[in-house]
This record gives sequence, C-alpha cells and structure tokens, in this order.
Amino acid sequence: MHKASLALLLATFLFPILSAEDKADHAWNQIVPENSDDLLEIQDRLQSLLPKVQGAVVSIEASDGAGSGVIISKDGLVLTAAHVIGTSNKKMSVRLPNGKRFPAISLGGSELSDAGMLKITKAGSWPYAKMAPRGSATLGDWCFGLGHPGGFDKERGIVVRVGRVIGNKDETMQTDSRLLGGDSGGPLFDFHGQVIAIHSRISKQPDENFHVPIESFLANWDFFQNSKLFTLAQMEEGGFLGLACKETPDGVKVIEAIEGSAAEKSGLKPNDVILSVNGEKIDNREELTILLASKKPSDEIKLEYQRDGKSQSLKIKLGNRPRE
Amino acid sequence: MKVAVLISLLLSWFSSQPQDKNNTLLLAEKFRLNGVSTQKAFGHAQKQALSTTVRLIRNDKLIAMGGIVDSRGYVLTKASDCVGAREAETSDGKTYRLKIKKRDEKTDLALYQLLSNDEVFPVLKWGEGNSTRTGSWVLSSYSMLKEIRAGVTSGKPREIGREGGVMGVILGAEGDDIGGVRISEVVPQAAAYKAGIQEGDVITKADGRRVKKRDQVVKIVGRNDPGDVVRIEVKRDSDLKTYNVTLGHRSVTFDLFNRNLQMSGPVSKRKDNFPMILQHDLPLPKNSMGGPLFNLEGECIGFNIARVDRVTIYALPESQVRNTLSKFLGK
Repeated sequence: MHKASLALLLATFLFPILSAEDKADHAWNQIVPENSDDLLEIQDRLQSLLPKVQGAVVSIEASDGAGSGVIISKDGLVLTAAHVIGTSNKKMSVRLPNGKRFPAISLGGSELSDAGMLKITKAGSWPYAKMAPRGSATLGDWCFGLGHPGGFDKERGIVVRVGRVIGNKDETMQTDSRLLGGDSGGPLFDFHGQVIAIHSRISKQPDENFHVPIESFLANWDFFQNSKLFTLAQMEEGGFLGLACKETPDGVKVIEAIEGSAAEKSGLKPNDVILSVNGEKIDNREELTILLASKKPSDEIKLEYQRDGKSQSLKIKLGNRPRE
Repeated sequence: MKVAVLISLLLSWFSSQPQDKNNTLLLAEKFRLNGVSTQKAFGHAQKQALSTTVRLIRNDKLIAMGGIVDSRGYVLTKASDCVGAREAETSDGKTYRLKIKKRDEKTDLALYQLLSNDEVFPVLKWGEGNSTRTGSWVLSSYSMLKEIRAGVTSGKPREIGREGGVMGVILGAEGDDIGGVRISEVVPQAAAYKAGIQEGDVITKADGRRVKKRDQVVKIVGRNDPGDVVRIEVKRDSDLKTYNVTLGHRSVTFDLFNRNLQMSGPVSKRKDNFPMILQHDLPLPKNSMGGPLFNLEGECIGFNIARVDRVTIYALPESQVRNTLSKFLGK
C-alpha cells in the first residue's frame, strides 16, 4: 500500500537517518551501558531530543475520554491508538503542549494492532515529529515514551519515561518504558528522535508494556487515512484463508496452513513467503489480515508467494472462519 | 478484549519458542532498564543508595524505607507510612531497634534513630534536587536492599495541592423541591457508608449549615482533612437523622472507580498537599516509600514521599527535606 503520499513522507526523513553521526559507537547503541559515563551520555541524548520532539505531542479529547497522540505531518495528521478514536469520523479535539485546543476528526485505524489516525481540521502549519522508516527499531534499542496520562496538565507537562525495546513482533512492540492509561496513543521515540511506535496497552507487569509499531501505520497508510477502521468483527465475517504467519526479514512467512482451510487445500506450506494478494504488495501481516477480511468468504483471490527462491502464483477460493 | 486475548496468545507463543542465537524474541532481563547489568552501570550511585537506605519494619513486615541523614543513626522517612515501626535493617543485614524522634505533618516526614552502641553510620550526601531537569536519571534502593531501581524524572517539579477529606458519596439531584442534595450513590466501605448514610438520603445540613446545592456540600466537607469528623443531617423518607462522618482520603475512597489504579497495586494514602515534588517513574511498591532518591552522582536529591500510581512517584526535593531536618535537629 505504499503510495505517493507515503513515499514523499519517507523521503523527508531518510536523510537524517543515514548521517554519519549515527554510526559512532554511542552509549545507547551498546548492548548495555557499562558505567555512569555511558548513562550520562544516554541522559544527555534524551534531554537534547526532548525539546525537539515535545512540541508535536498532543492530548486528545473527546466527549467520552482522553488520550495522547503525535502530529506527524505539517498539515496536522495525528497518529494515536484505535481505542482512543473508537470510530471513524468522530469530532475530537487536540491540545498542544501550550494548552491550546484545536478541532480534529478521527480517520481510520485497526483494532488488530490498535493503530489509529486523526486529523486536525483547522488549517495551519503544525509542529510535527518524524516517523522512523520501516524496520528501523530493533530489540534492545533505547527509547522514550511521551504522553498525557490522566489528561492534559500544564503544571506537570508532558510525561517522559525511558526504556528499551524488549520485544518487537508482528503487530506488537513491547518496551519497559512505563505506561499509564491516558498515555494511550502517545508516541514512543527512538534515540534519533523518530517515532517508532504508539502506546497501546499496559501489561500487568509495569515493565512490559505494549505499543503499535510504526510499521502498522506505514503498511496500511492509505487505508487508515481514508477513514477506514478495521474491526475484529470484520475479521470474523470476512473471507478466511487459514494461514498462520509471522513477520521475518524476508517478509510475511507461513508458519502453518490450518487443517481443512482454503490455505491448506491450495498447497501453501510452511516457509512460503507471501508477496502479494490481487496485485497488492504485502508489507506486513496485519495488511494481509485486513485485505483478506475485506473479501467475502466465497471470493477468489490471486496470491503470489515465494518458495525456494522462486515466485509462484495461485488462485484460492476463500472460506468461512471456523466458529469456536 | 479479543485483542488482549489474541496478543496474550501470541506472546505466550513467542516466549515458548527456543531462543535462536541471532533471533532473540524478547530482550534478556539483565539488559532491561532495571536489569542487573544496567544496575551495575550505576556503580558508585548504586553503592551510595544501598548503604544509606534502611528498611523499616513492623511485625516482621516492611512498612517503609528510610535514609540515614546523620552518622548517629538518624533516619528520615515518610511519617504516615511508618507508624509503629520498631525495627530497622541495613543493607549489610544488621538490625536495630528504632526510636521515633520527630514528626512533621506538612511534609509528612518523620525522624527516627537507629539505636546502637555509638556505631558510626554511613550518611547520604546531599545534592541539589530542585534543579533536576526532566529526563534525568534517578535511582533508589529496592525493597530488599539488594538491588536498586532506576528511571528518570518524568514531569516538572511542582506543588501538589490539597485534596481534602471525602465522605465517599456521589451527589445527585439538588434544589428546593428536593429539600437539599440527594445522595445517588454510597461507596461501599467508605466514610459515609460506615457512618450509616444510605443511597437516596437527602442531605439537609452539613456541619450545622443548611445546604441546598452540591457545591455547598463539597465546599463544607472539603475544607476538612481526612480523619476529621463532619456532622451530616439527612432526610430519609420523612425522618431527619444526623450522622457523624469520619472523612476518608480521596485517593483511597475513589480509587475503586479508577481503572488505572486497579492495575496499580496499593498506592500511598497521602499523596496530596506537598509544597513541591519531583515526579519520577521508579517501580517501587507502596511499602518502599520514605527512602532517599539519588542522582547519577550518588547524591540524595529527595525523599520518596508518595506512590501515586503504577508509574508515578512523588519525591520531596532535598531543599524541603533539609529544611524539615534542620527543624527536627533544632538548628
């Protein structure tokens, strides 16, 4: 689903990432800080990034609750969590760090990853943060989360918490950067000041919280921006292929074709890499799920995949999702 | 809900997979923010924190932590959490009898002394906490005095206002036709419930003053502190009844309704009315409040004074703490 708009956005932040400065052996790139000098370097980096990115962090208010978000484009596109927006086309407001409120409308998202999007409806030139390109966050990366837990509070300001990426698989990133309700939808930044994820849910363990990886937004950008909200109910009703997949550096890889499913009948096997569905390139697992759920159970799809280094193509008639 | 189930299934799958050499699925615990390897990097600060923090014990249970502020064994702690402490334990495993010296309501600090035969105790060194920038490393000893917990100052230093006592009721309809203010809900086990007030009662007087509006009730009750008694007259059916309500803490009373706090575990009873606080995110339980907070240099920049929720602790900055300590010591 990479379209022109996204390509444009990406182009603007490829440059800083490739700058030579990042290749140096900074404390935040080590497996673990070894002494207080390393820790000081991490602290200095965090404190130098904060003033640069805080301006883009917003509190999101609706009649039925509050959350956080981050502006990622000059024209006021805001990333947040699906559970913060709830539905598409909902009137909401965002509050900038100075306390000023502006009207916004919810766009789309996905209940699967909890990615959500909204747009400030007032024309303006908004402060915005850069998004990390696909695949840039890895296990062990230092990161910091920002948000407005419990709602906007000028005396307190935006709340900052530091941590590391402790898990990053498919639709979920986990960190030990701590979270509280109301942080939901707020940004998680890497030590380059780029948004790598959006706060989603707290875990019972305060040190293992859940975030929506930026990849979920990048892979489904047009879908979200066009005010489409993927719900779990749609997944129940839509076409069912019956593949269990995982994301790998090679792409979305088949773990298993469920017994008796359309996928098994088609001959798809473990380690096949899914390339496209009906010509639409598949960037991540969630995109595949959303695409399949948008079909009816009796629809036929054209699926392109790679086996043993060779691209192959199949026509598959989808089935019904088994009821529990 | 479904997402949560799905995610938890996925996670259990990840963690049950064998860890390949290049494809670790979850970051090893020792490398995490509060992992043992990371803790080690704090070096001198870690040692300072462990050697100058004590465990305060009542009936063999940890009730608070404290910091050694004088080589004679003087220990500062959170007063309201430390009631009845009889014994203290240091990081080297030694235990001491405890004697209370002073208490201060305003800062909720108390001074105790570890009783010994002229032992010279290691004393914490003061730093300057008031100038601590958001995003600065801070650390404290963890409950067992074997490890530390580290994090960053996470919000601006600020005053935390007074919350006042609460009855634990939700006020409903008001006005002349009703003849007062109707109670639409009574929080189970809270102050009003214990006094005998019931849902549907109409409050006619509070502290002897006739009331017709919700605001009036809130104002009269709110100027009292938790523990104070407020006389409430209610109309039930056609009877007038008077109850003495011993007010509760807002945090404890209404936390039942706060989803964040349901997931937080116990929080401090008193977490309001501090002239100045530093906010940080150390994962410390309620029974580990009262201990000192250190910076990367191992200097004490404050004392942990309230666990607010699962990710928020307030610390009194060192200037406040030292003022109170000077008063305690009569300087």
